[in-house]
Amino acid sequence: MTLYHFGNCVALLTPYYFTYKYSGLSEYGAFWKCVQAGGIYIFTQLCKMLVLATFFYSDSSSSSGEFNFFAEIFRCSVDIADLLGFALILSRIPGKGHSKLITAGLGWATAEVILSRGIMLWVGARGTEFSWIYILKCLESNVLLVQHITTATLIWLFTRHDLNKALKPLVSLMLAVTVFKGVWLEGMLHILAIGPWLTVAVKALVAAVIGFCTLHIYSGLAQQIGI
Amino acid sequence: MNEADSFAEIFRGGLPHCLLIVLSMLLICSPVMPSEFEVISMSKFDLNGQHFGSRVPSISLEARSLYSWNTSRHCVLTRLTDLSIHDFDKLRQNAGGIILMLPSNMLDLDVEARELITILEQSMLTYTAVAPIFFAPYNKDLEKIIDDITYTTTDNVAQNQTALSQLIVTVSANRYHVNVGGGSIVANKNSKVPIIHGELIPNQLALKPSETVGDGQKLPVILITANLKTFGIYNDYPANADAAVLLVLMELFSKMHYTTSMAPKYRLRFLLSDAGVLLNFQGSKKWLEIDDNALQNVEFVLCLDTITESLSLGADNALYMHVSKPPKEKTSISNFFKLLKAAAEKYTNGLTVEGVHKKINLADTKLAWEHERFSIKRYPSFTLSSVKSPRSPIRTTIFKNDERLFVEHTLNTSRVIAEALASYMYKVDPISSVFDGQLAIKEENLLPYFGVKSILHNNDVKDAFEKYLNNVKIIYDKPDGRDPEFMFYNENDVKLNVYRVKPAIFDLFLTMVIGVYLLAVFLAIQYFPRFYDEVSKLTKEEPAGQQNGHSSERLRMKSH
Repeated sequence: MTLYHFGNCVALLTPYYFTYKYSGLSEYGAFWKCVQAGGIYIFTQLCKMLVLATFFYSDSSSSSGEFNFFAEIFRCSVDIADLLGFALILSRIPGKGHSKLITAGLGWATAEVILSRGIMLWVGARGTEFSWIYILKCLESNVLLVQHITTATLIWLFTRHDLNKALKPLVSLMLAVTVFKGVWLEGMLHILAIGPWLTVAVKALVAAVIGFCTLHIYSGLAQQIGI
Repeated sequence: MNEADSFAEIFRGGLPHCLLIVLSMLLICSPVMPSEFEVISMSKFDLNGQHFGSRVPSISLEARSLYSWNTSRHCVLTRLTDLSIHDFDKLRQNAGGIILMLPSNMLDLDVEARELITILEQSMLTYTAVAPIFFAPYNKDLEKIIDDITYTTTDNVAQNQTALSQLIVTVSANRYHVNVGGGSIVANKNSKVPIIHGELIPNQLALKPSETVGDGQKLPVILITANLKTFGIYNDYPANADAAVLLVLMELFSKMHYTTSMAPKYRLRFLLSDAGVLLNFQGSKKWLEIDDNALQNVEFVLCLDTITESLSLGADNALYMHVSKPPKEKTSISNFFKLLKAAAEKYTNGLTVEGVHKKINLADTKLAWEHERFSIKRYPSFTLSSVKSPRSPIRTTIFKNDERLFVEHTLNTSRVIAEALASYMYKVDPISSVFDGQLAIKEENLLPYFGVKSILHNNDVKDAFEKYLNNVKIIYDKPDGRDPEFMFYNENDVKLNVYRVKPAIFDLFLTMVIGVYLLAVFLAIQYFPRFYDEVSKLTKEEPAGQQNGHSSERLRMKSH
């Protein structure tokens, strides 16, 4: 029964496969490109860890459950490295059009799921003790997939010189919003003290809104340059 | 491009090794720790071929409440106070396991609840149970779990109107899986019951020359016996008032022998063993077998049994003298009884002394009182106890009362017994108050003796015996190899783990929900190009004159 529950949790990660299969990546043979993107993710995280361990004192903000505003801001400022990581993927990994962005986002998100959720799921969801947290985490991973593809697109838009000048500040703003999501969104959720299910729903909503705006800008540029 | 290829090559070559390491690491990782609680296993012992305490060492079953269990695949998790005798009778035969949470404080319970608990205890110690029984000390988290399983089931029964609501209840119900840690139960080959015996020989100097003949050996013997309770339903130290009274009597009479010039016409002998009613008075049995000849010219045998109720149930302030046959006038027992009555009237307020007569049932393998061991051998003997019936559950309880009350009562009773014994031995009037002034029994004398846990514990008892008595001997009753009369078992500390689980149907239900969700995601991805086109159209209107060659390409890509 418990292995079955683990299976349920893993089944919730199928959208990753769907994205890979039905967005046309499989036809381009983009598997290794995704793996490379994942490799860059790992590299970025290691760099981030180095920076965090070197320059930031480890306070108990995460372990005590208390939301520490300044510590979160510091932590999120390190997350800017994530954006650099995305930029690295986009510049290094060849690809064209939409598939390039999806490769970057998907590779990144998959690596994140495997590395940050894999052990927890294997150890936790397989255990005798039942908890909703594993299902919730898997659902959240789906939200993260959307979010990472969005971020990849935003970075791509940010690096384009032929982007409409009026839209540039908007793209920068949305990047900032994405990076500092840890501060404002988590802070808000913490203050409102809403349940775990609603938290995931709110996160999904935020990701959807940012995603839609990005798509809107992207489609404009895509038509402009004709991809 | 070249670079990327080599990067991919590294991955291709290294991946299986990485996978191997990661997988082996994952297998080592154990599932997360659930809630863990301390539990005490019910004490296990054999007596005359009967097994007490289940021999099942562990439980790994679904936890159910008292009201919802029905098969041996359920472990009943409940409070001790919620259990009734009737429930227990069913449980001990059919349930897969019983975990009982002890009340936080026995003293907070009312008399009826206490009585029920002692009756349950007795029932557990009288009948053999198939189901393993564990006791958990009071714990708030465990109480929550108990409430949860009880609440879920009552809810289930109350509102099962529609199939849908029932389904929802079934799916959303929290279930608990209990796991009580392994460890095997092994018979302790070194099981033994220690018996200590000592003698108070009258001071030789104080004896008149005519009486020294025979070295005082010819003097009649008064034997005082008591049993130390070393366990109850679980391994803990019950209150041992009997041993305390015995040790106090020993101390007092020893002091009296050496401080006063009075020499008694009796020899006092003391016998203390670790085997009480639960072990069918094995100690005195063994002692009688070994020392059969030593016990001659017996005046009477005084057995102490439950001299103070360790858990007071009623306000019944009485001392009962239990005999196997009604004593005739002018016999030693009848004389002592009269002295005891007189002493009780004088030194206590309201302690009544009553005689109770009960014939020995030779067909019964278990004796009711210790004096029956001696009565069978035709020694005049009786038991002093605060309980009237030999089947009183108080005799085997492990729960203790408020110590102050307990000590006070023991103090009173020991005074009465000491006065009666002194007046019997020295042939003085019972109202002469021997134990006043220097020889008064004080709380300080008595209190240390309540700490006595076992005869072998730190040699405390042995030292006391050697200090006050002569001819101190410790003998051990060991069970026979082939046909053991009694046997103890080694136990390890066990832990109770409670896991929150969901029923199997819940996972099936979850799979269905996930299936629906995945279908929605699949459709969303399938229709994404169309959505993209819509968005493109939206953008096209704003910056005019842009051409759209994209969506057709995208759709072509999909249709492959």
